[in-house]
Amino acid sequence: MLASSRGFPRATFARMSPQMRLKAIWLLPPAAWFVVFLLVPYLITATYSFGHMQSYRYVPGFSLANYARIFTTAPYSGAIAQSAEIGLLTAVFSSILAYPVAMVMAFRVTRAAARSALYLLVILPWWASYLVKAYAWKTILGPHGILNSLLLSLHVVESPITILLYNTASVVLTLTYIFTPFAVLSIYASLERIPASLLEAAEDLGAGGMEIFWRIILPLSVPGLLAGGVITFALGFGDFVAPALLGGADTLMISTIMINLLGVANDRPLASAIGIIIVILAFLLIGVMGWAERRVTVRI
Amino acid sequence: MRAIGSSRALLAACVLVMLFLYLPLFVMVVMSFNAGDSVGLPFTGFSLAWYARLFGNAQIMHAIINSLIVAVGTVAISLPLGVMAAVGLDRYEFPGKAVFRRIVLLPLILPGVITGVSLLNFYIINGVRLSLATIIFGQGTALVCVSLTEVFARLQQLGRSQYEAAQDLGAGESECFFRVILPNISGAVVGAALISASISLDEIAVTYLLTGRQNTLPMVIWSLLRREATPLVNAAGTLMVVATAILVTLGLRLSRSGAEAAE
Repeated sequence: MLASSRGFPRATFARMSPQMRLKAIWLLPPAAWFVVFLLVPYLITATYSFGHMQSYRYVPGFSLANYARIFTTAPYSGAIAQSAEIGLLTAVFSSILAYPVAMVMAFRVTRAAARSALYLLVILPWWASYLVKAYAWKTILGPHGILNSLLLSLHVVESPITILLYNTASVVLTLTYIFTPFAVLSIYASLERIPASLLEAAEDLGAGGMEIFWRIILPLSVPGLLAGGVITFALGFGDFVAPALLGGADTLMISTIMINLLGVANDRPLASAIGIIIVILAFLLIGVMGWAERRVTVRI
Repeated sequence: MRAIGSSRALLAACVLVMLFLYLPLFVMVVMSFNAGDSVGLPFTGFSLAWYARLFGNAQIMHAIINSLIVAVGTVAISLPLGVMAAVGLDRYEFPGKAVFRRIVLLPLILPGVITGVSLLNFYIINGVRLSLATIIFGQGTALVCVSLTEVFARLQQLGRSQYEAAQDLGAGESECFFRVILPNISGAVVGAALISASISLDEIAVTYLLTGRQNTLPMVIWSLLRREATPLVNAAGTLMVVATAILVTLGLRLSRSGAEAAE
């Protein structure tokens, strides 16, 4: 289908029907671009992952040694597990924080202007610079940060406490902070579709607020929770900014390892193998999500 | 009106979460006007000194220009490709359509480091030297999905009747596009451009791996932060937050106003 032979444009174009020609004009440039700048690089990376480095040069090969190393050697499999743990905690905490905001947006604020104002208020922190947001928490939690200054001036503590920063908890807190607005938008998209008549009917039949929440609202919001959860998990899993700025010596995430492999260690085959594993995990995750959604989703 | 949304506990939780979202940014903005040298408290007096230092810093000014070049280049690549793909997907059926739509979204779902590694391998094999251009090609590819989804949604709303009417009246394809389709999707196109630009201005994972000697603003801030937290970053961060707030508010308003005008 694509321009594989050099004589492609003129010879093939002349033989096309006008309709086909239009189709080719709209679709070939983006398709060709994606093949060259996305598919080919991914394929190169897959090929690289089977080779190895020898005296700073890449040697092609077909060996599973890189993959074996990732699954059996300490930093790699451990880092994948820790990234997954941090991603999962991030997804859970941001969903919990996001839910009340999405509820208020969907059911409490009824005027269109007020609703879009709240929408904008939620979306602005989401778009604010990612790096800046991670940095903001560093200044809050740091030894000379706002929190310590406050505690010192209130004489709660005598000297600045250092346990606030540079550990896995501060990474999870920062990532939760960063991804909560996204979870709000995702959950809200589900809640918005719940027909008012359904809730009114439940009320008329004597259901209380909590019963309506547990038996109607929550089950119907599962698609939004899942979609938001999977993306916040993926973004948290692949993050390297927060662990670098706020993580401790024991916070080792997979993206950080990849960047180190590409920089100081210059082991691109191993980094490529990690990349391929993450791609496969991502596809598995998307598959599982599709399955879960079909299982749990209640149709109205 | 309804009991579900109006419980006090729910409202209180919502207010607390909103405070959680805004307090850190608020602290940073306030501290950027602090006269003192410390990143944290005490606030010793109002001053624009850090902004003056920021604009006097040649490295940062140079990085801002680089960031703007990258953002413009990224939009110049991703927007036309995204619009073309959106028109193609909206109008035609072809084998592999579902796969194509998935592949386009990959850079959004996968960690940026992976897109970065793949393009790095690709550049090294082809002997391309890393520069601002290599960043632009990387970000441009990753952000096609933004224009594609925005414009595609708008085209689906628009329907095909206007386009078919123009065709029946004898308009050629380019006339149809520039005089019928484009005016109708202009809001979504401008919105997508602004949103892509603001993502590009903030992008760090792809940039980190594909950058040569030239650095963008997030990269310079990143290297400043790795050394120590300085109030200079408060000022830079405040400006970045203000810039993205303007870009995104405008972008959203434009893509929505287009939709409302058509209804």
